[in-house]
Amino acid sequence: MTSTEALIRNLTADLTPVRRRDVWREAGALLALGAVELALILAVQGMRPGMGRMILSPDVAWKIGSLALLAGVACTAAVRSFAPPARPRRGVELTLGLAGLAIIGGALVTPAAESGRSLLDRLSPAQGMICATSIVVLALPIMTLLAVLMRRAAPVHPKRSALATGLAASLCGALIFTACCPMNDPLYIIVWYSAGVAAVTAAARWLLPRRFRL
Amino acid sequence: MRFHSLSKLTRPSRDPARRAQDAPAGPALSDEWSALMKAAQDGHGGAYRRLLNEMSEWLHRYFQRRLPIGDVDDAVQETLLAIHRRRHTFDPQYPFGPWLAAIAKRKWVDQLRSIGRRPTEELPEHLSVGDHEAAVTSASVLAGLLEQLRPAQAQAILLVKVQGYSIEDTARETGMSSSAVKMNIHRGLARLTSFVEKCDDVD
Repeated sequence: MTSTEALIRNLTADLTPVRRRDVWREAGALLALGAVELALILAVQGMRPGMGRMILSPDVAWKIGSLALLAGVACTAAVRSFAPPARPRRGVELTLGLAGLAIIGGALVTPAAESGRSLLDRLSPAQGMICATSIVVLALPIMTLLAVLMRRAAPVHPKRSALATGLAASLCGALIFTACCPMNDPLYIIVWYSAGVAAVTAAARWLLPRRFRL
Repeated sequence: MRFHSLSKLTRPSRDPARRAQDAPAGPALSDEWSALMKAAQDGHGGAYRRLLNEMSEWLHRYFQRRLPIGDVDDAVQETLLAIHRRRHTFDPQYPFGPWLAAIAKRKWVDQLRSIGRRPTEELPEHLSVGDHEAAVTSASVLAGLLEQLRPAQAQAILLVKVQGYSIEDTARETGMSSSAVKMNIHRGLARLTSFVEKCDDVD
């Protein structure tokens, strides 16, 4: 008996049924975790004042709408990338392409009053650091859940899947944070939200492929 | 004489007939394997044994074209283990072929990486060799692969990893410093791996 035959005999000897991977269950878990985080942050910080009224203004609608779209696309790309035949590169490229369009959209919806302010005033670094840090903190539980899902699945491009995971987690964190973020200026959003997203994505890309073995 | 197994690196064929041979299975067989895997997921040992036996034959053929003969069994077993560990990720709604091919390709790349990391081996001067076919195929494929590299990288890999020269001899021969030779080998192998990874050979 060859070693391959012996291996096959061992693998089939005590075969037990397995529960098939279900992407809808994984998507549901992500949604549930996002909802819990949203409830927690609203309980701790409260919703930003005047949200109901401001959501109709172009800049706030742009902020929430584009982040919701990006988070949805990135989460889909990440979860799909965990299956062997998937090509994570396409999902990552689509997310980055949409992010580019969102940035252009941000330039178009910038109110004229904002353009007159100084750059430092518009960027408001102290508040920006709080926003970027909050996005990182909110992204961590989602990244952990996605890392668990990735580990249980079979991504054959772990580095690209990790990139998709980082983008998805950070964009979800950013979307949740919009509920209490008091800033509307698209320049501010682009700079500081991008900083938070980039930090989480870089960490995911560096950390997740380690110790992963198909 | 020193010999490195990189010389048996094989590249996926561009010949449609040979590519067809490399495909995991025709639609009928893929459907059959899909049904067998579905049964295996439900705990049917007999179906799983039959599936693994049939897949191991295909995997042998797949890796024989791509790896040194001594690494084929390892690659087949690694792939079977990966399939066993990740069998819950197969969705019977989708074809089985691409699922298997993706895992096999990943394992091929892993095996190439481990070959690149492996130290070179000293072999006796007079070593009897049986079949030259794989070596001849590998040599022509290797030449094609080396064309993807910069001349300095290709030359360093060819002299050290294929022809068995030492780093110092290669440095003298090429006029490069020893560290430049090492760097060219390292970067060249990394580039080869990356090139192989990007090849869509069995979609």
